[in-house]
Amino acid sequence: MVRPYAIKGKKRKNRGEKYDKEEQEHKEQVEEEEKEPAKRAAIEKPTEEVEGKEEEEGGEAGTDELEGIPIAPSDKKNNKNGVIFVLEKASLEVAKVGKSFQLLNSDDHANFLRKNNKNPADYRPDITHQALLSILDSPVNKAGRLQAVYVRTEKGVLFEVKPHVRIPRTYKRFSGIMLQLLQKLNITAVGKREKLLRVIKNPVTNYFPVNSRKIGFSYSSDKLAKMRKYIDAVGDDVNLVFVVGAMAHGKIEVDYIDDFIAISGYPLSAAMCIARITEALADKWSIL
Amino acid sequence: MKLKSQKPNPFETIWSRRKFDILGKKRKGEERRIGRARSLAIQKRIGEQNDDLGEFEKGILRSQRERQLKLGKKSKFNLSDGEEDEFDAPEFGSLPERDDFEDEMLSDDDNYADEKRSTVLKHLNSHSAKDPLEGDLIEGEENKHKSKKEIMEEVILKSKFFKAQKARDKEENEQLMDELDKSFSSLVQSQALLSLTEPGKMNALKALVNKSIPDEHVKKEELAVARKAETNNQEQPDSYDKLVHEMVLDMRARPSDRTKTPEEIAQEERERLERLEEERQKRMLAMDYSSDEDGENAEKDYAQRPRAISGDDLGDSFALDDEPGNKKGWVDEILERKDANDSEDEDEDDSEDLGSAEDTDEDEESEEEEEEDDENECEKTLSLKDWEQSDDDNVGTDLEEDEETDEHDEAIGDEDVDKKSRNKTNKTELKKCVESVDAKKPKASGKHTSTKLDIPFIIEAPKNLEELSSLLENHSNDDVIVIINRIRASNAIKLAAENRKKMQVFYGVLLQYFAVLANKKPLNFELSNLLVKPIMEMSTEIPFFSAICARERILRTRVQFCEALKNHENGCWPTLKTLFLLRLWSMIFPCSDYRHVVTTPALLLMCEYLMRCPIMSGRDVAIGSFLCSMILMFTKQSRKFCPEAIMFLRTLLMAATDHKLASEQDSQFYHFMELKALRPLLCIHDGVDEINPLNFLMVMEMSDYSSFFRSDNFRASALLTVIETLRGFIEIYDGLNSFPEIFLPIATVLVEVSEQKHMPKALKDKFNNVSQLIKKKAGETHTLRRPLQLRKQKPAPIKLLNPQFEENFVKGRDYDPDRERAERRKLQKLIKREAKGAARELRKDNYFLYEAKQRDKELVEKERAANYGRAIAFLQEQEHAFKSGQLGKGSKKRRR
Repeated sequence: MVRPYAIKGKKRKNRGEKYDKEEQEHKEQVEEEEKEPAKRAAIEKPTEEVEGKEEEEGGEAGTDELEGIPIAPSDKKNNKNGVIFVLEKASLEVAKVGKSFQLLNSDDHANFLRKNNKNPADYRPDITHQALLSILDSPVNKAGRLQAVYVRTEKGVLFEVKPHVRIPRTYKRFSGIMLQLLQKLNITAVGKREKLLRVIKNPVTNYFPVNSRKIGFSYSSDKLAKMRKYIDAVGDDVNLVFVVGAMAHGKIEVDYIDDFIAISGYPLSAAMCIARITEALADKWSIL
Repeated sequence: MKLKSQKPNPFETIWSRRKFDILGKKRKGEERRIGRARSLAIQKRIGEQNDDLGEFEKGILRSQRERQLKLGKKSKFNLSDGEEDEFDAPEFGSLPERDDFEDEMLSDDDNYADEKRSTVLKHLNSHSAKDPLEGDLIEGEENKHKSKKEIMEEVILKSKFFKAQKARDKEENEQLMDELDKSFSSLVQSQALLSLTEPGKMNALKALVNKSIPDEHVKKEELAVARKAETNNQEQPDSYDKLVHEMVLDMRARPSDRTKTPEEIAQEERERLERLEEERQKRMLAMDYSSDEDGENAEKDYAQRPRAISGDDLGDSFALDDEPGNKKGWVDEILERKDANDSEDEDEDDSEDLGSAEDTDEDEESEEEEEEDDENECEKTLSLKDWEQSDDDNVGTDLEEDEETDEHDEAIGDEDVDKKSRNKTNKTELKKCVESVDAKKPKASGKHTSTKLDIPFIIEAPKNLEELSSLLENHSNDDVIVIINRIRASNAIKLAAENRKKMQVFYGVLLQYFAVLANKKPLNFELSNLLVKPIMEMSTEIPFFSAICARERILRTRVQFCEALKNHENGCWPTLKTLFLLRLWSMIFPCSDYRHVVTTPALLLMCEYLMRCPIMSGRDVAIGSFLCSMILMFTKQSRKFCPEAIMFLRTLLMAATDHKLASEQDSQFYHFMELKALRPLLCIHDGVDEINPLNFLMVMEMSDYSSFFRSDNFRASALLTVIETLRGFIEIYDGLNSFPEIFLPIATVLVEVSEQKHMPKALKDKFNNVSQLIKKKAGETHTLRRPLQLRKQKPAPIKLLNPQFEENFVKGRDYDPDRERAERRKLQKLIKREAKGAARELRKDNYFLYEAKQRDKELVEKERAANYGRAIAFLQEQEHAFKSGQLGKGSKKRRR
């Protein structure tokens, strides 16, 4: 007749864990699918396959400018400690303006916000946009050293941004994507099921690797440090987590931060602060 | 308090809690949270937060306030509606705003509210007062104090004034109309209209005016009477109206375009030139190369070529894909038009000269012969003309497959064998024709000679060289040009469609004439020069045909050249005619194009001459250096590299040295120059006092063995041209990466030549200058060169993925692009929901049934229990009675 409550509860519990599993399964599936035709082809025409490969290689070589001149060995270091960025207090808020839902910003919704007794100056999703762009555009990310970006909104919604997302360059499209993310709770890649952005459970510390050093940034901090020196002092075996505020005014108020530093004598924008951090990291890892 | 003691109404206290507070989103039932509103109102009551006051005092304060409000001016007329005892907050909305300063500024707050209200009311009053007076704002405020009577008087006055004005206006209008009528009649009679209107209409106009003039007087008298009649008449169009309508339909004089100011014209011209230059630059680039043959492929390649994505790229499908399409150049147009013209020309030729179309091949052959002995061209002019006309046919078959011409020629050769017999008969016929033409000719020429000074203004375009030469015979150079210009003017393409054909023929003939002129022994150089202008102009008129002519001629010259190479006796260097034609084409066609139907083969031909012709005499040296300078001119803008020319110049320089160099690098060089019999042709043996620039025409007229070629003067001047040309090449090629490799050996040769014994001083300086120039430029290139490096592999960035999102996302909508799948999913959802609903219903039913059964059972149970109880009770009673001995006797006993 009626299902006992215990079973229901258990099922719900499973859901959270299943989330990634599904993805992984899917990935495995895809890989298998990719492998299968290759296998088939290999069984049917093994010789052709080899030839094709050779041709491909030849083609690649042809695209290079100077043939015959050996390629300089790339100096890749094996210690691949990634960095994590956390954007705190991002003002990403969805509201029903008129008949449609919109991401609130100070330009378009000033009157609406005033009507609802909010300060329009606090609604600055463009800061988050710029900050995300400067993180994801940095050479550190291009070199694959960025592990993840977490964004926590003013309202406490936490979402993860995968490092290989191409964030829309224009604000309008960014607001579209954020709107969809905050309503649908995840954003997939075009033509794939991989989730590029997804809302996750708080607290953010659950997602940090072990042995990570959380560094918060604030103009108000007394500890004024030169970024490069600071990073050098931290050491190679520690995972770095940078916590930057993406709000217009105020200070990040989180309890998990190990160290609060200021990297400039001037109040910096979030994007500039991130630029400094990534610059220092790129310098340290000699990413050009 | 009463309220507090009351049990809270659950509908007022319970509301759904929101998990996420979304601004601006309203849910059902949330807008009316009476409980909270009430509690807020209670919070706002007077003295609610003041703990010092007791309940009684609070009550007194509130009732006082209430009474005060009632006594106030504003609320004097308010009707009491029973609910007055519960006074709500004075302001609507914005409740929490006031909370903070509630207790301190209690009375102030109320006063403030009152003030606000009073101001609003005042405002309203003033509005209502103003409203009726809005009509006349001029009076303004004072109007208030005027009495009604005064106002009415004013209104009446005004209306009277307006009426009077109207009447006056009407009168004025009538007067104006009268005047207009009068002036119109006078205009008609003054014939000024004649120029504007047709004569036929003029009569009607006059009639109208005549009629209307007396009419008008009558009309004025009986205006009132005629009014009615007029209204009737208006339905039928009167003659004047008709006229007006007709005039409306007449063609209007159109304003012509404003004459442009000289600045504007200059500006337009400048823009046009800039555009042309841009096009030329485009054609110069290699892009045309691919679009020439496989334009589509090239475009595809362009589109497919992966572009480096910049960091600021929008990435997603946002960017518009409007890459600049490869515009087709002039050359492509020609190549395309060929196909189109094919059919046309074929048709025309079919109708026009059926016979000649057949023997084109034969004509070509005869043409070749004719080329060899140019002097007696007159005999074969008819066939020549045929050739020019048959050009089109050749194009149709040959030009499309430029490279296959040789094969084609072979095929033609085969055909020739078949046709030989027929051709012979044809030839004889042709000759007869020629004779007949010749017979006619003297008459014509005689006529011309007699009327030497007065050239006819309209001249039919000559159809063959013979006609043309007869036409131009015995005319001075200027007259020839005049004749040609008149022919062009009277047969201009713009005048008639068939003139295009005529002009094409004439163009061919003229070109022929130009060529023949070049080979005439006393060279009429001035006439050749003059001829260039009309030929150039005509080529721009018929670019397609001129290109074909030129190309065909180049091909033929090439064939002859190959023939000539086989027997070395007669020099294979180009004749003056070929040189002239090459020069002409270099002026007509753009030399800087990357690939051009005429200039490319022309350049190739020149290079071939330089490469393959042996240098036998001083004349060859002159021709070669002339060709070199022509190549220089060809490549000046496009900066194409012509190794042949450089090589030739170097050879000439070597010829200026008296001893042979046998160093290793030179041996390689000699290998290249297998054909060149290197003799110290240019070695100066004695001192030369003055160096004159070489007169090329003069040189050409001299025979190979003239003593001039062995004179030191010639050598010096030849060296001068060589060095000047070389300098030009150095200027052109200074951008090449391999500049030092190309020119440094020449520099050494130059130095060597300059150190010759009898080298004149001026030449020596020049040589040294050029060699220094070479060294300087080579040094520059050397400094730009960078040592060989290991290739740096560009680090590969991580692959970025575009997130998928909708433009206007609405939650709950399925954005699956696959409609069917979305539909299916929707249905599945529906099924699931229905199934759940059904399950729920079933469950509910089961509950109900179970409950009903339970109830029945309970009833039965109860009944049974009752029965049982009853039975038990009876039994117990029995037992009790029995035990107590009350049964039977006992009872009796007790009773007793």
